[in-house]
Amino acid sequence: MGIEPGRLQFSWISSAESTKFVEVVTQVTNAIRALGPNPDFTKKLAEVA
Amino acid sequence: MSDWEPKIAAFLCNWCSYGAADLAGVSRMEYPPNIRVIRIPCTGRMDPKFFLAALREGADGVWVSG
Amino acid sequence: MITFKLNGQTVQGEKGQYILQVAEKFGVDIPTMCHHKALDPAGMCRLCTVEVFDGRRTRYVTSCNYPIWEGMEVKTDTEIVREGRKLIVEMMLARCPESTAVQAIAKSYGIEKPRFQTGDDTCILCGLCTRMCERIGANAITLTQRGLDMRVDTPFSINTEACIACGACAFVCPTGHITYDKVKEKVTLHPGQPIPSEYDMGLKGRKPVYVPYAQAVPNTPAIDRTKCVHFKTGGCKVCVEFCGVDAIDHSMQDETVEVNVGSIILAPGFEPFDPSKFDTYNYAKHPNVITAMEMERLLSASGPTGGHLVRMSDHKEPKKVAWFQCVGSRDMNRCDNSYCSSVCCMYAIKEAVIAKEHAGAGLDCAVFFMDIRTHGKDFERFYNSAKDKHGVRFIRSRVHSITPVGDSGDLEVRYVTENGSLVVETFDMIVLSIGLQISPAVAEMAKNMGIELTEGRFCKTDSFNPVATSKPGVFVCGAFQGAKDIPQSVVDSSAAATAAGEILASARNTLTKVREAVPETDVTNARPRIGVFVCRCGINIAGVVDVPSVAEYAKTLPYVEFATDNLYSCSQDTQETISQIVKQKNLNRVVVAACTPKTHEPLFQETLINAGLNKYLFEMANIRNHDSWVHRNNPELATKKAKDLVRMAVSKAALIQPLKEAELDINPTALVIGGGLSGMAAARSLARQGYDTHIVEKSDRLGGQAHNLFRTAKGEDVQKKLAEMTADIEKDPKIHVHLKAALTKVDGFVGSFKSTLSSDGAEQILEHGVAVIATGGSAHTPQEYAYGSDPRVVTSLELDRKIIAGDPALKALNSAVFIQCVGSREPQRPYCSRVCCTHSVDNAIHLKEMNPDMNVFVLYRDMRTYGERELLYKKARTLGVIFIRYTLEQKPVVKVAGGKLLVTTTDPIIGRPVEIETDLITLATAVIPNRDEKLANFFKVPLNEDGFFVERHAKLGPSEFATDGVFLCGLAHYPKPIDEAIAQGQAAASRAVTLLARKKIYTSGTVAEIDPRMCSQCGVCVSVCPYSAPSWTEKGMFAGRAQVNPVLCKGCGLCVASCRSGAIHLKGFDNDQVFAQIFSLSEAV
Repeated sequence: MGIEPGRLQFSWISSAESTKFVEVVTQVTNAIRALGPNPDFTKKLAEVA
Repeated sequence: MSDWEPKIAAFLCNWCSYGAADLAGVSRMEYPPNIRVIRIPCTGRMDPKFFLAALREGADGVWVSG
Repeated sequence: MITFKLNGQTVQGEKGQYILQVAEKFGVDIPTMCHHKALDPAGMCRLCTVEVFDGRRTRYVTSCNYPIWEGMEVKTDTEIVREGRKLIVEMMLARCPESTAVQAIAKSYGIEKPRFQTGDDTCILCGLCTRMCERIGANAITLTQRGLDMRVDTPFSINTEACIACGACAFVCPTGHITYDKVKEKVTLHPGQPIPSEYDMGLKGRKPVYVPYAQAVPNTPAIDRTKCVHFKTGGCKVCVEFCGVDAIDHSMQDETVEVNVGSIILAPGFEPFDPSKFDTYNYAKHPNVITAMEMERLLSASGPTGGHLVRMSDHKEPKKVAWFQCVGSRDMNRCDNSYCSSVCCMYAIKEAVIAKEHAGAGLDCAVFFMDIRTHGKDFERFYNSAKDKHGVRFIRSRVHSITPVGDSGDLEVRYVTENGSLVVETFDMIVLSIGLQISPAVAEMAKNMGIELTEGRFCKTDSFNPVATSKPGVFVCGAFQGAKDIPQSVVDSSAAATAAGEILASARNTLTKVREAVPETDVTNARPRIGVFVCRCGINIAGVVDVPSVAEYAKTLPYVEFATDNLYSCSQDTQETISQIVKQKNLNRVVVAACTPKTHEPLFQETLINAGLNKYLFEMANIRNHDSWVHRNNPELATKKAKDLVRMAVSKAALIQPLKEAELDINPTALVIGGGLSGMAAARSLARQGYDTHIVEKSDRLGGQAHNLFRTAKGEDVQKKLAEMTADIEKDPKIHVHLKAALTKVDGFVGSFKSTLSSDGAEQILEHGVAVIATGGSAHTPQEYAYGSDPRVVTSLELDRKIIAGDPALKALNSAVFIQCVGSREPQRPYCSRVCCTHSVDNAIHLKEMNPDMNVFVLYRDMRTYGERELLYKKARTLGVIFIRYTLEQKPVVKVAGGKLLVTTTDPIIGRPVEIETDLITLATAVIPNRDEKLANFFKVPLNEDGFFVERHAKLGPSEFATDGVFLCGLAHYPKPIDEAIAQGQAAASRAVTLLARKKIYTSGTVAEIDPRMCSQCGVCVSVCPYSAPSWTEKGMFAGRAQVNPVLCKGCGLCVASCRSGAIHLKGFDNDQVFAQIFSLSEAV
């Protein structure tokens, strides 16, 4: 479908693991930032209009 | 492009990661402000359609966490 | 009211206010270096100079202490004012060129270097410190001397008794001229110690106004009278100026409140043993010798180091950590606690594993122990994995002393290994696994109440009445009853609650008040009218997020009719205001942007109910926990995120529908499956609280395994007590016993079960609201140690039966051997059976008492006489019972040769095999569960790999299942002695009564619903649901299609996502609602 697999991230965190939560958020954000903006799949304004 | 920041849709399980996110707040931890949390009752609720819709609507990534 | 002009704008202020105060209120920024909200203004720094025009002439005044008057015209930002301020700043910089605070303000005026001659001071003489000191009431410092020599000092420049080392001066000093270290060195005569945080075990300081810990209930700050400056000097009260809701009242007094009660439950807990008096361990003197409680804080993410493992002396990451077990437990020599504290082995193993997780696998963890006691459910597995998977070293040795190595912070220990060699090892830090003890204050309270204590100062109880104290009506739970861990404490607490409930059953619901119901407005088909309430949460949100702009933004969103911000949305008055606004503005959806729905959703839903709205017409945006608290250094993005979150919540709110909660009657009847002691205890408690109870027992009598037991660890006669209890049950008109009966079918769910009972071929249907599973366990039948081939080899239960029968041969024995862990703690059964060590030790004592000349041996692996059972172990040794340890690799060998019964085992001390000729071998066999998969299936409850039932939560829900209305107790949960089995029976009854007493329950509204027209009958939902909520419709036009039972549905949405036909909707989280949130992720175009 032309979507980089890295755009979808999964994790499992228990409700007590706030430290892990912060680690994972940072990691996920960095991973997606590295992929760059998601240009291909966004709704094209022109098509909608 | 240097000031571009990704927008991430975060589907968080009400009982697990949502709680962890709350606790991260209580503990005054800091993390990147890129995620937008959508609370779901359980990651079992997660539908592939949600993922596709999020990307279509301009999210640069989707994070599902149980 | 005084009206005047501020920068051309007409503003109003109260009489007596100063210009600065009014300007602040109207958002006009005036710089100042010497102003503090709680202090009288002094006009010292003169930075706040503004222009005042009185109609005739212009004057320049300091706005902080210039009172407002009618008709004045104030200008705060004219050219002259700016130039004046710049000059003041330049002079400040010349005086204090090194002060970063002054440099920063100078930079903002574009001054890099002052034109004047520079000095080397750091004090700008703002006088904040001296005014603060005066307000504190100490008056220790003042501005001394005059002119160029003016400075902040104490009289005569000597350290003074007047300074109480409160540190307020250092706190207000804007330039960092005053530091707390300087105060201690030059000002005060007091030592100036930080207040140790009780929660952080003194590893961190705390303030006199503090919240004890993050989860404290109530979660409001308290003022520590013993530390608060106001209670020392009568001054200060600075906190009062900062409290936005005037909640602080220093004049409050302690009150004595008298309450009239029918029963008392004691849960005073334990105090951790203080190892300071063990001088050879150097705990009091060396920072790197810490207690396990301190280690808990060091490993905690909310602890003093944020979970980063460092040692206290130099904050270095340790490479080697050791734990010393039994510090303050099992010790009559250096302290008086001869009992075992039960919990320390497990917590030490846990800490070692977590330490390795935090510090990496390179960390070396060594546990020095006497016996490892991991007798709890799944504890043995954890111990095995700590050893085998995580590489934690376990060393069987009691170390005498800890020697600091010079000033390095390292610690040297010498110990003797099992094979007798002396080892010297150095560790970076050492954790003392301190025991649990009853504090003198609790012992005193017990004495005053006339409650008997045990030898170890715990509350004395009876095994058959494990939560009753010696005083009728007074019950006990937790560590005061005996050293115990969380699951056992939770079991006890439920048991104590039910014990009190039994005697108070007649008073149930006599003091309850019924709330007036507000009729619900019908909002069906009405256009959404959304009200958005954005919470400031004091400064918690508003300090970071621009709350008014978020509220303004909300007004622009579709369907939003009203938006505002509140100081505290959850406060009583705001709740009422919200309720009124909903009515006035005719709102039919409410969005609150505040904290987390996990804690506050129910509160706001309550408000909706009071406003006549269905409680599901509500949505929350979490702009505190997920926003302001975690992005406090990024207010701009936090505000943007808050707007996004509000937009997402509003878009969902537009689509939410009122939901109905199904009301369900609870059949006030209970079914107990299993008529052993635990099931009997459960039934007795239920019946005593007024509920009809059926006991289903597969054998022909009540009592289960108790028939095989001679006496309890406390010496009670089991047969006598069992007979009493059976008689109690039989004469209770509310208890119906079904013997030789089994369940063949179970239908229904919480509140209305229908179970089919088969007894002697006859079938009977029982209707009940709750079920208690107490199916018990039995003894493992050994295949080793010549069991079955020689009659002199018996199991523990067989020996008990011989004792009960008064077998005369026992007294004549010359020698008896007990072999422990027969079938337990082995690869095929990796759990500890918990009861066998105490059982064998007690029987060994009994044999010794019958015939003191008998040679009695106990061959064991780790002696697990936990709690005060340890006293039996000690007694056995005193009586001359010989204990020989063996290992799993070298198990004892039993031989029958020439009619002689011989046991060979390797003695670990001498390292050689020992042969014992004996007349009796007792095998302490494992307790195995009556693995009942059919029953598990009937009630949809899980079994673990050992065949025990899996409780709702290992720690917090030990006596109930995740499935509503089904409870658990006794050996079916895990092996346990009589007192614990009875306590758990009572606990299961207690949990069941919480349902039964409600009479009706309401299901959640957020459940799945199937549109039968769309259902393609694929059956995926029926098979994926963990709670068995979907089923096939049997009758009617949609027969064969799936349907969801809202009572069983937990609203997880698994079926919704898996439904290929799109027939299932999850109310409250339906596709369109989630999509609405997704669609509004980005700003609407």
